[in-house]
Amino acid sequence: MIAEMREALQSVLGTDLSEPVLLAGGASKEAWAVDAGGRKLLVRRAAVGVIHKHTLSLEHEFAVLEAAYEAGVKAPRPVQYIADLDGREAFVMERLEGETIGRRIVRMEPVPPQLPEQMAEELAKIHAIPRERLPFLEEARLERMIEEFDEVGEPRPAIELGLWWLREHRPPPREPVVVHGDYRIGNLVVAPDGLRGVLDWEFVHVDDPVRDLAFALVRAWRFGVPEKRLGGIGDAEPYLERYNELTGLDVRPEELDYWELAGNVGWAIGCLTQMRRHLSGRDRSVELATLGRLGAEVEYEICTLLERVAA
Amino acid sequence: MSERPTAPELVESILEFLGGEILPTLTDQRLRFRTLVAMNALSIVYRELVERLPAEDDAAQRELAARIRAGDVPPGTVARVKADVEARLRVASPRYLESYE
Repeated sequence: MIAEMREALQSVLGTDLSEPVLLAGGASKEAWAVDAGGRKLLVRRAAVGVIHKHTLSLEHEFAVLEAAYEAGVKAPRPVQYIADLDGREAFVMERLEGETIGRRIVRMEPVPPQLPEQMAEELAKIHAIPRERLPFLEEARLERMIEEFDEVGEPRPAIELGLWWLREHRPPPREPVVVHGDYRIGNLVVAPDGLRGVLDWEFVHVDDPVRDLAFALVRAWRFGVPEKRLGGIGDAEPYLERYNELTGLDVRPEELDYWELAGNVGWAIGCLTQMRRHLSGRDRSVELATLGRLGAEVEYEICTLLERVAA
Repeated sequence: MSERPTAPELVESILEFLGGEILPTLTDQRLRFRTLVAMNALSIVYRELVERLPAEDDAAQRELAARIRAGDVPPGTVARVKADVEARLRVASPRYLESYE
């Protein structure tokens, strides 16, 4: 299979390639590292399952990556979309060098001090991508979370409390923009000199910009450094200030709190939908099964945040 | 309480992992044998847990969830729900609670 794929890739790219190495083979996507002369490439290729029903197709993900790259976002340079690479959809992009594992990024010594501001800068650029440039993007509403939760059908009073509070305290809606949809430390490439690139463009959609901004604060993605609210690497204030400076949006800390809670509620529901993939027999996996129970961590954080806003 | 995945469902997922992903990679005969013995022991645990699954399931949780959905959230609800989540965490992930201390 590797030989066939290499041959197919060589004929598309018209160049000699090293043997492709499988970096990650998830339920929905494969990632292959391959070198073309001195050029380091990464091939994203479809696998059998779909992680989430609102995931972009690889063709659309490639179009998004092109738009982001053109807009000057630090992202891997897109190389080529391939409708049929040895039987499956795929695309090729350049491979960025740096750390991508969240748990290792928060333990870098030191964590690049400019990282919070740099995260704000890249997000501001993403939010400025013209919607018309990507007409296929769907708009997400907060209500989508409730639909997903109801599809799982498990009773979770803590999630209900979070949803209730979010309904009762919704800030005035902002003009929806192109958002990354999964903007957190684990989806960045970081080197000692700072942020190298933003990865994982499969959840891009149109939404409230502050929801996207607050996603990186969710406690589940602080990788064991909970006291640093911005993804285990820093404080939220410099991140928020820089974002406001660049976008002129004047986002207030309370609005960030609101969407941080929403991010937690969304992930608590996400744990249940992942568990359902296992229980339904679609993707049997001890990891997905365990995630169903670990959702209690996120529910605990929801309750803690609710106590804080009520105080 | 029978939170999903239930205890037998979790054990079942481990059995599938051991049988489907670990066992085929083992070439050492002694390790293969001991893994089969471990799987058999887990099967005993599985059956015993199924026997003990409470009949009256999560009716109280469902009722509380429905009340909150309807907007009926009396004072003290957050504290009550949090205590319940904490009890579940003491089973699922006790060390997580330490990160709040």
